[in-house]
Amino acid sequence: MREDRVLDLRGIAKSFGSARILEGVELTVRRGERHAIIGPNGAGKSTLFNLISGQFSPTSGSILLNGREIAGRPPHQINRMGLSRSFQITNIYHRLSVFENLRLGVMARHGLRFSLFRRVAALRAVNEESEALLQRIRLEDRRDRPAGDLTYSEQRALEIGMTLATAPEVILLDEPTAGMSQEETHYVIELIREVTKGKTLLVVEHDMNVVFSLCDRISVLVYGELLATGTPEEIRANRAVQEAYLGEEVA
Amino acid sequence: MARVWQLLLFVLIMAVLIGLPPLLGAGLQNAMTNMLIAALFAMAFNLLMGQGGMLSFGHAAFYGVGAFAVMHLMTAIDRGGLSFPTPLLPLAGAAAGLLVGLVTGWFATLRSGVYFALVTLALAEMLHSLAPHWEGLFGGEAGISSMRMPWGGFIFGQVIEIYYLTLIWVTLSIGLLYAYTRTPFGRLTLALRDNEERVRFMGYDAHATKMIVFAVSATFAGIAGGLLAVSNEQANYELFGTHVSAQVVLHTFVGGSTVFFGPAIGAAIFTLFAYLVSDVSRSWLLYQGVIFVLVMLYAPLGIGGVVMLHLRHWASIPWQRMVGPYAGATAATLLMAIGTVMVVEFLEALFSPHYVAQRRQAETSWPAFERFGASWEPFGILTWGPPLLLLIVGLLILLRLRHRIVALWDEVQETAETAARSGA
Repeated sequence: MREDRVLDLRGIAKSFGSARILEGVELTVRRGERHAIIGPNGAGKSTLFNLISGQFSPTSGSILLNGREIAGRPPHQINRMGLSRSFQITNIYHRLSVFENLRLGVMARHGLRFSLFRRVAALRAVNEESEALLQRIRLEDRRDRPAGDLTYSEQRALEIGMTLATAPEVILLDEPTAGMSQEETHYVIELIREVTKGKTLLVVEHDMNVVFSLCDRISVLVYGELLATGTPEEIRANRAVQEAYLGEEVA
Repeated sequence: MARVWQLLLFVLIMAVLIGLPPLLGAGLQNAMTNMLIAALFAMAFNLLMGQGGMLSFGHAAFYGVGAFAVMHLMTAIDRGGLSFPTPLLPLAGAAAGLLVGLVTGWFATLRSGVYFALVTLALAEMLHSLAPHWEGLFGGEAGISSMRMPWGGFIFGQVIEIYYLTLIWVTLSIGLLYAYTRTPFGRLTLALRDNEERVRFMGYDAHATKMIVFAVSATFAGIAGGLLAVSNEQANYELFGTHVSAQVVLHTFVGGSTVFFGPAIGAAIFTLFAYLVSDVSRSWLLYQGVIFVLVMLYAPLGIGGVVMLHLRHWASIPWQRMVGPYAGATAATLLMAIGTVMVVEFLEALFSPHYVAQRRQAETSWPAFERFGASWEPFGILTWGPPLLLLIVGLLILLRLRHRIVALWDEVQETAETAARSGA
């Protein structure tokens, strides 16, 4: 069964000073599934992402990625172990070209971290992979524009592309459709569906339509505690979830 | 097309740098040597500032360390009979810069922004205050001096020989700095400037990366300091002074930190300016400061940035309508410059100790003073009237033309944007 669990959170708690944000969170993400975390604002979803990706260390508990402890490790090590995240607020290299934004991720995966004696233009594999990624996120015609010049939804697509660039096994997306029109949401969801094939996805999302159509399993986080985990049907039918969070929406 | 122009410009500049100095006197040859050294120092600084996004207020530390390392090697050759090729002396500066850069960089890059700047400032100040007391290492207050040894048929006794040696080193170093921008690590340096957080989440160790950028910058600053030592055959603790750290910041910003060659342009212009003006006027530092403030206020991209802006939009600039306002603005700036210089020089004369002594001896309380080869009445309308008139007329013309120039540039930007949109 071990191989089945790609990400395992055990007894995770996080406090900032006297404020308890998370308490006793137990969560298992299975290999290859699309798993959503939902919950009202302030439930601790972003904090949970920050703990998994290495932004913060948990106050207590352990986080296993493929059986290896990652709690408290710095972000760059967690990334190299195969987990990559996107950000709720677009976090790109504004002055660099779209292509360059992606290539930096691809370079990292190729281990070109301190490469001072090679020409970047001569790295064929890196450049080809970056071009391919550019096509996958459908930004070919924006290739040489500074990333800061893109429209909001294009930047969100780039954000996802950058998350994929290090070829992670586990992908964390933090509200990928936040602030988007329906049309844009549809576009981004199709993109996510396409690019995460064969990978494990953990996503924080507010749009319930998106969550129920995209994901295999859903976890509900309320006031720092995990209320339930299950398939969309199970979550829809769960009384506690209905009372605490979904309310009229699905009843 | 742009490539051809760039190549042509490069060839032209190299031709001037190679061909001109033999026709000049030793004083100007020396000034040009200092110009090249300042250019390299500013380029090294800008690797950290413009590309890495780390503003250091203490780059004198590495400049000075490089100079002292070279002096020690020079002394060892001179006194100890160590055999080492004189043209390679700056290597000692590079090694010292790299070493000190790695150690101090490890600490400084633990922090970002203001805190980083303050750590670097403290570092240079620490060396500045320690150096006079450490006789053995820095030669006390007097510093260290030595002699360049002849090598391979070259005597290295003439300024022109040192000039060419410096030119080779600076060209090579700037070439390496350019190559750096084309490496994967060079691209990563730019990413670090734009968004350090994302760099970490892409699997890069941001601290180690910053430390190496810092050390590379320190290495080239060390070469610049080493070249200065080779040229002057001496070094003292003043090299660690705040004014040295401040000077390189000034050169870089006036030249333009967003353009690769910008800092070199700023350094070259200011070094030449200092050489030419410091002989004529005691207020040259004031003029330099005024130029710096004006560039920061009205052309924050710096000289290089303004030039690049024009080159980028060359085709869409309505030159026929632009030439008039530009010529007018240049003339107005000249008028204001003359007015400013007159006012500053008059004030300088009036407050000079020389004039104070004159007043004591004179019968009238405010005797006339000498400036620009003429005699001026301290309260005369003919003294203050012309400069003030020049300032006012110049200002009025500039204010009028500014609107026209801004409006024309708005047009240019608009054409550029529509072109970008339709092209995409």
